[in-house]
Amino acid sequence: MIDVANLSKSYAGFRAVQNISFHVNRGEIVGFLGPNGAGKSTTMKILAGYLPPTDGKVSVAGHNVVTESLEVRKRIGYMPENVPLYTDMRVDEFLRFRARLKQVPKGRIRERMETVKKQCGLKDMERKIIGTLSKGYRQRVGLADAMIHEPDLLILDEPTIGLDPHQIRQVRELIRDMGKRHTILLSTHILSEVEMTCNRVLIINHGKIEASDTPANLVKLVRGGGVVQIEVRAAAADVVAKVGKLDEVDRAEVIEEGEWPRIKVYGKPGVDTRDAVYALIKREGWNLRELTRVKATLEEAFVEITQD
Amino acid sequence: MAFWTLYKREVNSYFFSTIAYLVLFASAVTVGCYFSLTFNAMLEKDFRQYTVLQGSVIGFFFWLMLIIQVPLVTMRSFSEEFKMGTIEMLLTAPVREWEVVLAKYFGALTFFCVLWLPLLADVLAVHFASGGKIVILWPATAVTFAGIALFGIFYVAIGIFTSALTKNQIIASILSFSFIFLGFSLGFVSYLSQAESIKNALGYFSGIEQMDSFARGLLDSRPVVFYTSGAAFFLFLTQRLLQARRNKA
Repeated sequence: MIDVANLSKSYAGFRAVQNISFHVNRGEIVGFLGPNGAGKSTTMKILAGYLPPTDGKVSVAGHNVVTESLEVRKRIGYMPENVPLYTDMRVDEFLRFRARLKQVPKGRIRERMETVKKQCGLKDMERKIIGTLSKGYRQRVGLADAMIHEPDLLILDEPTIGLDPHQIRQVRELIRDMGKRHTILLSTHILSEVEMTCNRVLIINHGKIEASDTPANLVKLVRGGGVVQIEVRAAAADVVAKVGKLDEVDRAEVIEEGEWPRIKVYGKPGVDTRDAVYALIKREGWNLRELTRVKATLEEAFVEITQD
Repeated sequence: MAFWTLYKREVNSYFFSTIAYLVLFASAVTVGCYFSLTFNAMLEKDFRQYTVLQGSVIGFFFWLMLIIQVPLVTMRSFSEEFKMGTIEMLLTAPVREWEVVLAKYFGALTFFCVLWLPLLADVLAVHFASGGKIVILWPATAVTFAGIALFGIFYVAIGIFTSALTKNQIIASILSFSFIFLGFSLGFVSYLSQAESIKNALGYFSGIEQMDSFARGLLDSRPVVFYTSGAAFFLFLTQRLLQARRNKA
C-alpha cells in the first residue's frame, strides 16, 4: 500500500527526514511513533501529497506521490495534526463540500454522509456550526472527512491528541473498526493505544527509522528474558546474592527493604527465570508471598530505542 | 469539477460572515450618498454635460471605494487558510492548485460585483421615481458597469495575489491597498509631467482617464487587454506561489 524508498526531506539546511525506507501492506494498521520533531508529521505530509520529497521515491497504492499526486490524493484520507476545519460551516455542509471535492459520485453523497456520521457519532451534531464544537467533536469531523470517500489508505496524524480519556477510547474503537476495511497509518504519543490497535509499529528518531516490528516483538527485543518480581521472608542481601548466582539470571536488585523484601530478578535474554527462581526458594525454605512476571511495556521499548 | 464546488464554497463563505454584510451596507450607503449629492448638485446648476452616473464614477469617490473595497474583499482568501492550516486539508484533497486559485478569484470577484449593484439600483430608482422623465442611457450605463467590472478583474487578482503572500490579513490588505493606490496616483503623475510623450504614455495607464472614457460610453479595447492580461499574470503568480509555499511549509 505504501512504499517508501530512501526518502529524504530537507527544509532550508535542516534535514527533517534522512534516507528512510519502509513498507506498509494492505490491511495493516501501522503505528508511527517517535519523539517530537523526529519527522513523523513531515513523512505523513509527504505521503499525503502535501509536501514534495527532497529525494527518494514514495508511492501510495501504486502511484507516485510526486508525478501522480492527484491519483494518490484520491485514494487517501488524510487527517492533519490539530484538524484544521472551516469553522464557519455546519457539519453537514462541510462533509458535503468535502465529499464533492473528493469526487464521491453525486448519488452516493447522502449515503456516505450518513454512514460516516454514524461511524463517528456525529448524528446529533450535523446542524451545528463547526466553530462551536468541542475539540473532541472536531476531531470526529476530521475523521469523518478522512473517511468520506472510502479511501484505500487512512493517514491520521495524532488522532487522539487533546482528547479526554472517554473520547480517546471512542476514537480508538473507531480506528480499530476502520482497520477492518482500510489500511491505516497513524502517529501518536499514547503507546497503550498503539499496543491495543496496531499490528505493527514504526519508530522514527532523528529522521531515521529505528525499529519496525509488531508491538509484542518490540517489547521482547528490549527485554529478552523478562523480569520476575519476588517477595520472600529472608535477608535481602542474602536473597540477591543467591538469586544472582543462578545460571538463568542476569542480575537481581532490591526494590524495597523490610521484613518481606521485594526483589526484581532480570533474566538472561530469551530465558524464563520463574522455574529456577521458584526452585531456589523451595531449596532455601524461604517463605514466599509473591512471584510475578513483570511485563515490559511498549513505553520502555520506545524509550530504549529512541534514547540518545 | 472541483472548481464549482470550491467556487460555491467561496461565495457562500462571503455571505456567512458579518463583515461581508457590513461592507455591503457601507458601500450601499456611500454610493447612495454620493449619487444623490451629485444628482442634487447637477439639478441645482442645471448641468447637462454629463449623466448622473457619469458624474458619480469619474471623481475621487470611485477610487476611494475601490481602494477600500478590494482589500477588504480579498484579504482573507488565502491568508486565512494559511493561518488556520486549512490549506493543508484543501490541498490534500484531489484538487489542482489552479482550481483553488480560480475559485478564490471568481468568488471574490463575484462579491465585488455584488458591492456595485446598489449603484445600478440608484440609477434605476431615479429613472422610475421621475416617472421615466430622467432617461437611462443604456449603452453608456452598460459600458460604465463593464468598466467597473474591469477594474475589479484586475485589482481583485492583485488582492488574491497579496493574500497568498502572507498569513497575516492586515499585511495582505495593506499590500493590495498600496497597489491600487499606485494605479490611482499614476493618473496624477500624468498631469504633473511636462513632457508631452511621458504625459501620453502615463495617460494610457491612468485609471482615472480610463474610467472617464468608460463613463462616456467609450469601450476602449486597450485597457481591456491590459487589465485582463494583468489579471491573468497575477493569478499565474498566485498559483506558482501556492506551489512554492508547499516546499517551505
